[in-house]
Amino acid sequence: MITVSGLTKQYGDRTVVDDVSFTLEPGTVTGFLGPNGAGKSTTMRMMTGLVPATSGTALVDGRPYAELPNPGAVVGTLLDASAVHPGRTGRAHLRLMAAAAGVPASRADEVLALVGLADAARRRIGGYSLGMRQRLGIAGALLTDPPVLVFDEPANGLDPEGIRWMRDLLRGHAARGGTVLLSSHLLGEVEHTVDRLLVIGQGRIVADGSVASLLGAEGTTVRAAEPAALAAALQAAGFTVQRGDDGALVVPGADPAAVGAVAAAGGHALVDLRPVSRDLEDLFFSLTA
Amino acid sequence: MNATTTTTTTATTASTREHAVTTAVPARPAVRPGAASPAALVALEVRKSLSTRSGKALAGVSVLLAPAAGVIASAASEEPLGSVTGPIGTMAMLTALVLMSLGVLSTAGEWTHRTVQTTFLLSPRRGRVLAAKAVAVALLGAAFAALSTALTAGVIALMEDGVSWDGAGRAVATAIASGAAFAVTGAGVGAALTNTPAALTGLYLVILGVLPVVRTFKPEVGSRLDPAEAVLALAQGDAIGRSVLILAGWTVVALVAGAVVTRRRAVA
Repeated sequence: MITVSGLTKQYGDRTVVDDVSFTLEPGTVTGFLGPNGAGKSTTMRMMTGLVPATSGTALVDGRPYAELPNPGAVVGTLLDASAVHPGRTGRAHLRLMAAAAGVPASRADEVLALVGLADAARRRIGGYSLGMRQRLGIAGALLTDPPVLVFDEPANGLDPEGIRWMRDLLRGHAARGGTVLLSSHLLGEVEHTVDRLLVIGQGRIVADGSVASLLGAEGTTVRAAEPAALAAALQAAGFTVQRGDDGALVVPGADPAAVGAVAAAGGHALVDLRPVSRDLEDLFFSLTA
Repeated sequence: MNATTTTTTTATTASTREHAVTTAVPARPAVRPGAASPAALVALEVRKSLSTRSGKALAGVSVLLAPAAGVIASAASEEPLGSVTGPIGTMAMLTALVLMSLGVLSTAGEWTHRTVQTTFLLSPRRGRVLAAKAVAVALLGAAFAALSTALTAGVIALMEDGVSWDGAGRAVATAIASGAAFAVTGAGVGAALTNTPAALTGLYLVILGVLPVVRTFKPEVGSRLDPAEAVLALAQGDAIGRSVLILAGWTVVALVAGAVVTRRRAVA
């Protein structure tokens, strides 16, 4: 388990991370969401001891990262996929990492196969595409098969197929009891991957909750020729009805088919009937504006 | 986290499920529970230094430059050599200056390529990492200097007649020690400046540019600071105490500066 409390980073007068607190539980994928420069990377670097915190603590299994006996065995980290020596081959890079993390050198080939880089293993990293470097970084994070994964913008440079692959990887990791923290500035990348969202803006956590609780319940929006009559019929059928913009009715938590059935039963003429889901993007702007 | 502990309701599905899961997700590898031993860290740093083209090239140059220069000098010169200590000292200085770059790359190179991130993520005790790097480049520096000097001595033995081998043992020991000292100095300065071009330019500018100029104006100051001159003097048995102090001073000051920066610097 990871416990971050009051984590703060100041550079001179500038506060880039401001009193950030959260807990990461095993078995969950947490999305760390915010625009570029919101403090995601700095928070992750403080969690892993790369950047000293001005104040606050980040504990992994009760101790600071740097005091773990073998931190690579506990936390698999992908922070910056370009932080590799371009002259080494992918395989040489991972074999060095394997020695540092204390796993057999043969793990390098296993994780290369796992991320789909087996064919590029003996090529210099300098010739890798951004997506390949990202996969190499993920391979490095998986070397010890650690219980905790901390990935900063892992979808950068991945194609849609790669993003889907990563989603399955992270969901599978959480399903096996692992803990995942995954940052992104693109909402669509994480929406279907995470159980929980931590939204950060200008260094502060502005929202923390399950995807469902932050996005609100899905529902149905309906327009009728005679909205008042339909609203009465829906309320009589036990639905909550809200007046939306320009005569539209919003029925939270209702399936469009159920709303349509009520309308059909009462002979109400419909102009429009469709599902609504509160957009993650809207949520984001409303929170960080 | 154990992939094979999946529980299922019936025995038949359990066996197929387990098979499927273990194929997709291999069982957790054997992971060392504690931190890497100092010896393992040193071995890792030796491998890192020799795993890049620049590292291999520097290793090759450090071994071959001095004997190659010896062949040319010997072929070009008509003068009898006299003692071997002078030529061995000169070649030791040349080799040590090359080995300094190997040290710089082992520390500053990690910051320049940002691989220091991975290094500190897996070994967060930064002091131990720098110590391992210092030992690793000292070993590499001593080994390459020893090889280089052996080849240089071979060249002299083959190409020169009637040279005096008096003091050759001390000259060889000087070559090996200065190879180690210069490599560690390079590692220390590299760790202090965390930037390869800055560390290389700074070191060579001071040793090959500033100090020789100082020596022309204030010879007594220059000879108290110049590590290259100290190597020459030591190989020939001159000013032994002072020369050892100069080389040790460069090594210690560089390492302390490197340790201070390594401990504090944020990996952003």
